[in-house]
Amino acid sequence: MTTPIQDQALSLTVNGVPVGPMPVPRGTSMQEFLHEWLGLTGARMGCGQGICNACTVMVEEDGKVPREMRTCITGAHWFEGRRVRTVEGHAREEADGSLTLSPVQTAFVEAFAFQCGYCTPGFVTAATVLIQRLKAAPVPRDAVEAVVTEALDHHICRCTGYVRYHTAVRDLVLATPGLVTA
Amino acid sequence: MRKILLAAAGLALGGAALIGLLASGALERSVVSRAVETPLGADQIQALAPRGAAVAAAADCYACHTARGGAPWAGGMPFETPFGTIHATNISPSPEGIGGWSRAEFHRALRDGIAPGGRHLYPAMPYTAYRGMTEGDVDALYAYLITREKMPVANRPNGLAFPFDQRWTLSAWNLLHLPAAVAVPDPTRSDLWNRGRYVAEALGHCGECHTPRNLMQGLRGEAALTGAVIEGLEAPDITPAGLARMGFAPASLARFMGTGLSAQGGATHQMFEVVHYSTRHMARADLAAMAAYLFDRDAPGPEMDPAVPAAAPAPTPLAAAVSGRARASYDGLCAGCHGAQGEGIPHVSVALRTNAGLRTASPASVVRAVLAGLPAQTFPGGERMEAMPGFAADLDDAALADLTNWMRTEWGGQASTLSPQDMAAIRAAITPRHAARD
Ligand code: FES
Ligand code: FES
Repeated sequence: MTTPIQDQALSLTVNGVPVGPMPVPRGTSMQEFLHEWLGLTGARMGCGQGICNACTVMVEEDGKVPREMRTCITGAHWFEGRRVRTVEGHAREEADGSLTLSPVQTAFVEAFAFQCGYCTPGFVTAATVLIQRLKAAPVPRDAVEAVVTEALDHHICRCTGYVRYHTAVRDLVLATPGLVTA
Repeated sequence: MRKILLAAAGLALGGAALIGLLASGALERSVVSRAVETPLGADQIQALAPRGAAVAAAADCYACHTARGGAPWAGGMPFETPFGTIHATNISPSPEGIGGWSRAEFHRALRDGIAPGGRHLYPAMPYTAYRGMTEGDVDALYAYLITREKMPVANRPNGLAFPFDQRWTLSAWNLLHLPAAVAVPDPTRSDLWNRGRYVAEALGHCGECHTPRNLMQGLRGEAALTGAVIEGLEAPDITPAGLARMGFAPASLARFMGTGLSAQGGATHQMFEVVHYSTRHMARADLAAMAAYLFDRDAPGPEMDPAVPAAAPAPTPLAAAVSGRARASYDGLCAGCHGAQGEGIPHVSVALRTNAGLRTASPASVVRAVLAGLPAQTFPGGERMEAMPGFAADLDDAALADLTNWMRTEWGGQASTLSPQDMAAIRAAITPRHAARD
C-alpha cells in the first residue's frame, strides 16, 4: 500500500531551541525526525514497537510535571508546538563551553549503572521525570523503593544494569531535599 | 372488612405455603437419572479422566474456579453481580472442594444447581447451561476433577446482601429460569449443527455472556446471543447477523476461537480469557461445529480460507473537520504500531481496518483499549501481541470521540456520532484492574 509522500510543516522546541517550521513528510516518526532532521541520535532505536523505552524523550509543559513519550511509535507531528527535551538536553553548558551533567546523569556515572549505554537515554529520561514528579508531590521515605521501581519498570536494559540504575535513583531521591516527606 | 381480613390472611397463608414449598425443594425437577447413584470404580475413573480434561476445557471450568495467581481448581475468583460479590468455590478433591462428593452429588450440582446437603448454587455457576450436558460428559468431568491434586484452600465467603444471601430463594429463581427438560438433538439438522449446539450451549455456555439478562439476572431466551454488557464492555451480538457484521465467516470464526487471532483482530478483555483457558484447547472439529451452529449452517459453508478477511463495509460519511482532527491523532499516536492504513504489524499489533471491534454496536472495548491499554498477550503457536500503552493522558474526550468516530466510520463502516460525554462515561468506568488484567 503506497501513498504519495505529503509534506506538512512542523515547528516545535527541542532542548530549549525553537525548530522549524520545516517540511516533514506526514507519518514520519519522532525518532526519525530527531535522528535524520536534527542530528540528535540520543533517543535510541531499540525495538521500534513501544516496548523497550530506549527512545523516550521528555515533553515539558509550564506548571506541569514533564511526561515521557516513546519517539519510535509517536509521530513527529504529534509534537507540533510542544517542548521536548532529549538526552542531549540534560547537561548544562557552562560559560566556558564545558558541560555539567545533570544530577541523574552524575548519579548513573557514579554508580556505574550502565555498561554499553544503549538504554541509558531512556533511563535518564525516566529518572528525571520521576525527580520532577517528586518535587511536585513528595512521597514518604518507605515508599521510595516502590516508586523508583514503578518509574523505571518499563525500561529494558539488555546489559541488565537494573539494580545499579535502581540504587542510583533511589539514593539520589533520598539525598535530594524536598523529594521525601518525614 | 371481614372479607378483606380473610383475604389477607389467606394470602399470607398462601405465601407462607409457597415459601415452604420452595424451601423444601419440592418444586424442583431433577434431570439426573437414577443410574448415577452407582459409584464409578477406580478403573472407570482412570479411563474417563483424559476425556474429562477435554470436557473441562470446553466447559471453561478453570477460568472461574482458579483465582489469578491462586492454586489450580481451588476457587476464590470474585464475580461482581448486581446483588453483591460471589466467589467461585474450590472444586479440587480436597475436603474444602468436592473431595467428599459422590458421583450423583456431582451430577446434581452440575445439572440441577444443587450441591450436597440441598445447598443451592448461585446461577453465576452456569448450571442452567450444564443442565444440557450428557451423563457421559459429566462422568468424565467428575473423573477428571476427582483425580486432580487436593488443594486445601478454604472457600471465600460471598458478599451478598439480604435477601440474596438466602440460598433457598433460588428455588424460585430455578422455577422461572431452569429449563424443565433438556434439548435433544434435532433430527432435521445435521450432526455438525447438533454437535455445535451442544458445544456452544451446554458446554461452552456462550449465552452466559452474549445473551442479555432480565432484572432477575435470568437469560432472556427470546434475545439469545444478541449481545449484552458485561463489566461495562459489550459481549457482542453473535447471532449469524451479528457475526457477519463483525466480518466473520464460519471458517474465520473457528480460527478465531482456536487461536485468539484472525483478520478480525485479537481476543481481548474477557474473551481473551475464554480463548486462553478454553477454546484454544478444544478439538478443531468442535470449533468447526460451534462455528457452523452459530452461523446456523448444516455444513461448514463455502468460505474455507480463514485468512481472507471479509470485505470491509464502505466507509460512511463523516465531516471533514472531524476526520482531519482524528487523522492527526491517529498519525501521531496510533499509526506507529497499527500502520498508516490500519494494517497492523504481524506479531506486534492487530490490524484495525478489518477489526471487529470497530464494527460492533458498542465502541466500549476499543475505547477502553485506547485509554487503558492492553497487556502483552500470548496466543497458541508462539504467537503474541505486544502490550499496548494507554493514552488516557494524551487524548481528551473530544479528541477521543473524533478518533473513535473516524475509525468506526472509515474502517468499521458504521455511522458513528459518539459525543465527548459518551467517551467520559467509558473513561469513568475504567479502574486500575482493567489495565492490569492479563
Ligand atoms: S525503541 Fe521505542 S520503545 Fe523501543
Ligand atoms: S547498559 Fe547496555 S542496554 Fe542497558
